Amino acid sequence: MSLVDEDEALIAAALKGSAYAWEKLVKRYESKIYNHGLRLTGNSSDAMDLMQEVFLGVYRNLHRFRGDAKFSSWIFRIAHNKAVDMNRRKRLMTSSPKFSSEDEGGEFEKFPGQANLEPEYRLGSQELNTRILAMLNALSMDQRSIVELKVFQSLTFDEIAELQDISANTVKTRFYSALKKLKVVSEKENVLS
Amino acid sequence: MSCPKTQYLLQEYFSEDLSAVARDELDRHLSDCAHCNAELESVLFVQRDIQQWQEQSVPHWDRGRELFRREHRAERPLSQLWLSWQWFPTAASLAMLCVLLFNVSVVSNESGFSVSFGGSSGANIDLRAQLAQFEQAQRGEMRQLVARVESRQDSNNVQLLQAVMEQAQQSTADSFDQMYAYFEQQRLLDLQDMRAGYEQLVDSDYETIRSLQQLVNYVGYQGDIR
Repeated sequence: MSLVDEDEALIAAALKGSAYAWEKLVKRYESKIYNHGLRLTGNSSDAMDLMQEVFLGVYRNLHRFRGDAKFSSWIFRIAHNKAVDMNRRKRLMTSSPKFSSEDEGGEFEKFPGQANLEPEYRLGSQELNTRILAMLNALSMDQRSIVELKVFQSLTFDEIAELQDISANTVKTRFYSALKKLKVVSEKENVLS
Repeated sequence: MSCPKTQYLLQEYFSEDLSAVARDELDRHLSDCAHCNAELESVLFVQRDIQQWQEQSVPHWDRGRELFRREHRAERPLSQLWLSWQWFPTAASLAMLCVLLFNVSVVSNESGFSVSFGGSSGANIDLRAQLAQFEQAQRGEMRQLVARVESRQDSNNVQLLQAVMEQAQQSTADSFDQMYAYFEQQRLLDLQDMRAGYEQLVDSDYETIRSLQQLVNYVGYQGDIR
């Protein structure tokens, strides 16, 4: 049985009320969603909040999943929407949101507090992830989201364009800009170290 | 030296739907243009760099288990509710209520047992007669017991009274002896005091007489001189 078929079997069982199937389904995707949230938000508490909101959304809408698309695409679409909502809420709570200089407007902006990564990501064995988060931190939320979807989730430019409701060319431009910015940050880091 | 095509070509480089012809053209340009090639290498290096991300383990959470169970329990069909024995306490309560309301009595004897509703059955009459006999017997036993306890209590009281009286007599005699000894002692002390007082009085009288004698002698001596 393929992973897609297994997903569908688990969804069917969960819809019939099997808590075991639900838990198994959550276990399959929780790590991907959590790490996705971690790279987007830059801190574990926001990543946990995002993950819990995503699975709550999945639970509420599970009966609407028709199997036309892959469950993984569906769940990442929910994750994207929740991240947009979360960012919007944070924007409302903070007085002076920081806009990116390269990209104008857009759904995403930087999450509050992302400049100050949590200590657990600055110390010890998390050094590599800390460095990557620091690099991603230099990106605007739009760029960060596209890098996340393209590099880590392996979505195509067209899929990202559909997800973010922008043109594929805009996605390509933002992705390349993001890579250039990451290159600059990486070179700066190398010079400093 | 910069290349005007770099931006466009590298944007397309990451595109998945690039045609084979376009891909060949792109590759050819990259092999010819050192600037574009260097630029591509640097962004690919950065991409590989961030791809080294190590998956973080998820902190403990309940995976929405409680929510799932709570909501599915609420939607459980009646047949499942029946099978899950949740009806049992309610049924037991109802049965007890019926037993009380209909005054159900179950009588068990040598010929088996019988269940009756209401209070006017033959078994109840027998039971009442047995209860009356039992009550009589219990009353008789109770009277005997009371009489035995009373007699035992009486003898105990008499013994106690005697003991108290003996003790009181003993203590009274002891008290009289002590009083007598005390008075005797006081009397002796008073006698001693009286004797000492008399002796002192006699001594003072004697001193007075001597003084008078001396005075008489002195007066007589003065008269002789004149």
